[in-house]
This record gives sequence, structure tokens and C-alpha cells, in this order.
Amino acid sequence: MFAYIVKRLLAGMVVVVLISIAVFALFWYGPESPARPVCESKTGGKCTPERLANFEKSLGYDNPIYEEYGKYAKGVFVGRELTIGTQRIDCDAPCLGYSFKNNTLVWDDLVKRMPATVSVAGGGALLYLLLGIPIGVAAARRRGSLTDKVLVSSFLVVSSVPYYLFALLAWIYCTLVFEIPVLGSSGYTPFTDNPWKWATGLLLPWLCLGLFGCTQYTRYTRGAMVEALSEDYIRTAKAKGLPASTVVYRHGLRSALVPVVTVFGIDLGVLLAGTIFTEKIFEIQGIGLWGLNAVVAKDLQVVAATALFGAVVMVISNLVVDLIYSVLDPRVRLS
Amino acid sequence: MDWQTHCLDEVSMSTPTMGSETVGHLSDEAVPGDEPPAKKRQVSGKSPIQIALGRLRKDKVAMTCFTIVMFFVLIAIFADVLQNLFDVTTEPGNPAQQLNPMNELLPYKGPPSGGFDPEHPFGVAPKTATDNLAVWLAGCRTSLLIASLATLVASIIGITLGLIAGFVGGVVDKAISFVIDFFLTVPFLLMALTLAPIINQRFALKPDLYEKAQLWSLVAILAFFGWMGVARLVRGEVLSLREREFILSARVIGMPTTRIMIKELLPNLVAPIVVAVSLMLPAFIAAEAGLAYLGIGITQGNSWGQTILRASNYYDDYALYFWEPLLGIVILVVALNLLGDAIRDAVDPKTRR
Repeated sequence: MFAYIVKRLLAGMVVVVLISIAVFALFWYGPESPARPVCESKTGGKCTPERLANFEKSLGYDNPIYEEYGKYAKGVFVGRELTIGTQRIDCDAPCLGYSFKNNTLVWDDLVKRMPATVSVAGGGALLYLLLGIPIGVAAARRRGSLTDKVLVSSFLVVSSVPYYLFALLAWIYCTLVFEIPVLGSSGYTPFTDNPWKWATGLLLPWLCLGLFGCTQYTRYTRGAMVEALSEDYIRTAKAKGLPASTVVYRHGLRSALVPVVTVFGIDLGVLLAGTIFTEKIFEIQGIGLWGLNAVVAKDLQVVAATALFGAVVMVISNLVVDLIYSVLDPRVRLS
Repeated sequence: MDWQTHCLDEVSMSTPTMGSETVGHLSDEAVPGDEPPAKKRQVSGKSPIQIALGRLRKDKVAMTCFTIVMFFVLIAIFADVLQNLFDVTTEPGNPAQQLNPMNELLPYKGPPSGGFDPEHPFGVAPKTATDNLAVWLAGCRTSLLIASLATLVASIIGITLGLIAGFVGGVVDKAISFVIDFFLTVPFLLMALTLAPIINQRFALKPDLYEKAQLWSLVAILAFFGWMGVARLVRGEVLSLREREFILSARVIGMPTTRIMIKELLPNLVAPIVVAVSLMLPAFIAAEAGLAYLGIGITQGNSWGQTILRASNYYDDYALYFWEPLLGIVILVVALNLLGDAIRDAVDPKTRR
């Protein structure tokens, strides 16, 4: 077990390193010097070739790429000193660089923006399960009935609509047009400032994510439950005279949940890595929107940080899923 | 079999309260040979694909969706012809004459306030006075063209790598599987957002190439991050097919590996591939429009996502402008998804229970 975790973590490290190299190289070998956006913003759009050369030199972009990447990687673990133009900045570990656009250290920004993304992702993912599993179980128990058919087909249609259009329409009609109280007041307030505002502000994003995402869970749960409920051990449990709820939930759902957990772990990872559309539409200052704005502004350090963060989250969530899998399903052996 | 029938007979004799339907049904099943030979139907050979097509033809939802999809495909193919027919172009109109500066640059004639304008059936865009119908038609073409090309490229990459990984096995399989897992870990949106402007910028100085470059860079990005599903699927199928007798015998008679892959394995993979591809197409359409909505991707403006981005401020003053591209995407994507789902049911009826 321990050896397995170590092996997986090492493989995950390789993935993370490859992704960070890829982002680095993308900007490095891009059509324009990575120093140009910095130069443009620092000189107020008057970036002459001499000034550009100066910035390249101070930012280290005239060195070979592997040397600079080495410095970057070293900075993540031990910290480094950054020079931008005439500025000198101490960047402690974990140093992810300096955002020329916001004039802040990237790591500080990342930490500052994490609560917003975690709130959105956590609430949305919770609704995936809270809505998806009970509806899926209900549909499986009434298999073939009108309720089942209506549920399955309406969910199929909902899940076919592109998510960002669903969220955009929800935002426009709940917040701007009809100004529905509570639900319509969307926006992010930190939990520590005002828990009530935090919850009401995020209610609409959560509902959008949840309603949209739960359709998939309903489908998985229903499929797995239908299979589980036709197993012999369910018949045995029924024949023993166990109450219907025990049969369905303790015996049926437990085995049906195994595939659902896998999907959930991966989905949660994707959400935590950056809910770009949700954050853009509802104007939530989280990691996704930060990354999007950085891409537009060509802020290399921020883009690299968001990609790195996303990759780390995905690697960890995949590992956790596999570990939980082995607990839920005793037949699965990790090796 | 005989033993079972015997038992059942005993059961039915000893428990007369048992439902007659059950017993009759079971005993029928147990003795199939009793049927008189004259009653046997003429068995006609049908390939699995033909059976699936037959099921699909009877599926009303599938046929409705197919009609809708064909409608959009025809629009996309004949976008130029239709533009000429309605006498509209995607070039900006004459804002000074057509737009009302006193009313947030909304058009004088046509929707939202001026009734129907036969010269511009879908109205004209605020600010630029570009004809909406022309842009809509071009957007339909962009959408379907990019999504189909991306689907084609992604499925070719996926099928090839999946076949090789599954059939060759060993180190090759491990390497390809690692690449698949790697790409599944990459945050797609972020990478796509990073890549698109970089590729586009390379061609920004060559205007004649720019539009083509944008299109191909989008196709490349979508395919680059979309092939893993098919690869995994094909690999899994090949792993089980590899051990079957017909493959073993093909090997024994010395058939070359590439020939086994193409002539023996591929025909057996048609069903799962068709299902995967039919669900890939709507995903790519949605992704293309999504990237355009985020402001990256096709930036020329003739993309539904791009129009939605520009129109989302006019949801109230000029709802038609906002809803035209939105309905285009929603209807096309929903129809394609439902069709893909119906194809899956037709190919594998076990999925619908």
C-alpha cells in the first residue's frame, strides 16, 4: 500500500513537472519575447528595442531556457530573488514568480484566490451528490415507470445543453432580468466576512453547477443501481425480510456507489483546478478567472502557476480516488 | 437443461398455486426444439450495423434529431448560397445610417423596435450594423467545420494509438497509457486558452493566412486534447479481442501486424467507435463556442460563441440578437447529443434498461 502511494506520487510528480515545462516552453518559444508584455506595461506602452533588451536581461530571458526553468523550479522549493527592471523582490518558498500585471507575488495571489474557487467547487460538487444520487436511486427503484422515463429523458436534455450557456442564462434571468431575491444576489463574499452573504451569493453558481452536473450522477447511479438491484444478494436480502430501505441503501447502494465515487473524485479535481466558466459568468474572483485574465494579459508567471496548481490538484484527486476505491470495494487490490 | 425442465415440472406439480404464466414461460424456454420445423422463419443474414440501423430507423427521437442535424449540416454547406439568396454579407453595414445613436446604437429598422425588416430577416447587430443572418450562417459553418475536422483528427489519433497500445502491449502500451493519463491530467481549458493566442499570433502578420491559421489551430487544440477517450476505449476493446481465436489464427498463418489491425481488429471496433465519435462531435461544437465565448479562438466574429459574448449585454434591449446564436448552439448540440445517445442504444440495446 505504502509502496503503491509512493509510486503513484512519483508518477504524479513527473506529470506536474512535464506540464510546468510545457507552459514555460510555450511562452518561451512563442511568437514574441516573454519580456515584451512586462516591458509594455512597465514603460506605459513605449517599449523600445533597447528597453526590451534591458528587460530581457533583467528577467533572465536571454539565458538558455533550461537554465531559467532550473531557477524557476528551484524557486518553488527554496525561494529566490527576483529582479524586474530596477525592482528587487524577495520571493520566499514556494516562489511561483511575480505577476507584473498585478504587482504581487503569484503565490500570495494564489492563496488569496483559493477560498473562492474552493467554495464554488465544493458546494457545486456537494450538490452533484446530494441531487444526483437520490434521484438516481429513485429512478432505479421505479424503473420503467413514467416517472423514470420523464426523469431520464429530461436529464438527458439538460445535460446536452452546453454548461456555460446554461449558467449564462441562469445568471441573466435570475440576477439581471427578474432580480429574484436571495437567489439572484450572486457574487462572492469571503465566508469569514459574512457567512450568510457567502452562502446566498454562491447559491446560484452552486445550483447551476449542481443541477447541470447531477444529471451525469443520476445516470451513473441509476445504471449501477439497476444492475445491483437485480443481483442475487438483493433477492436474498428481500427474502430475509429486511425492510425495503435497508435493502436498497445498505445492500444495493453500497455496491452501486463504487463507480460513482470514481467519477466524483475526478470531477471534484476538475472543478478545483479552476471553474473558469462559472467564475467568468458570475464574476467570482477565483483561480479560474485569474488564469483566464492572465492568459489575456500574457502574464506568464500566473499562467504557469494556474496550470501547475491544476495539475497538482488533478494528480492528488486521482490518487485519492484510487485509494478510496480500494476501501469501498474490497475486491480491488492496489499494487 | 433436461434436469431443469424436470425439476420445474416437479415444482409446478407440487405447487399448483404458482402463477401459470411463469411456469408456462419457463417450460417454453426449456424445450425450444419442440417447435415444428415448418414454423421456423427464413433467417436472413444481417450485420450488427444493419441491425443497429434498423433499430435507429424505428427510433422517433433519433430520426427527429437526425433531421435537425441534417438541416444544420445543409445550412453549413450552403452558407454562401444562402447568404446570396437573402442578399446579406458578413461585412459591417453602414452604422451611421442604420443605427440610432440616441438609442444605444440599436438599429432604426427591424428588431428589436422597428418590426420586421425584409432586407435583414434576423436584424442587424448594434454598433457595427453587420447583418445577423449572414453572421449566423457563417457561424453555423465555422462550428460544424471545426467540430467535424477536430472529430476526424482526434478519432484518427485515438484509434491509431489505441490499436497500437492494445495490440502490441508491453513497453509500448505502458508508454502510450502514460501519455493518455498525462493528457487527461492536463487542465484542458487553461492549456487551450494558452495555446490558442500563441498559435494565432504566429500568423497575425500574414492576413491572408490568418483566418486559415485560426481555424487549424483550433482544430489542432481540440483534437490534441480530445483523442484520449477514443484511445482508451479502443485499447480496452483490443485487449480483449487480441486473445480471441480469429486473431490467434491470423497470427498463426503469418498475417502482418498492420494487416491484422486494419483487416481483423478494426471491423470489430466499428460499433464502439461510432458511438464515441457521435458523442465527440457535440462536445467539440460546445467547446469551440465556449472558447470563442471566453474571447479566444475564432476572433473574426463569425462564430456563434463570439456573437454570444458580444450580445450578452443586449439580453434585455435586443434579446433576438442574443438568442439567435444561443438557440443555434443549443438546438444543434442537444440534437447531436440525443442522436449519439440513440446510436449507443441502437448499437448496444443493453444500455437502456
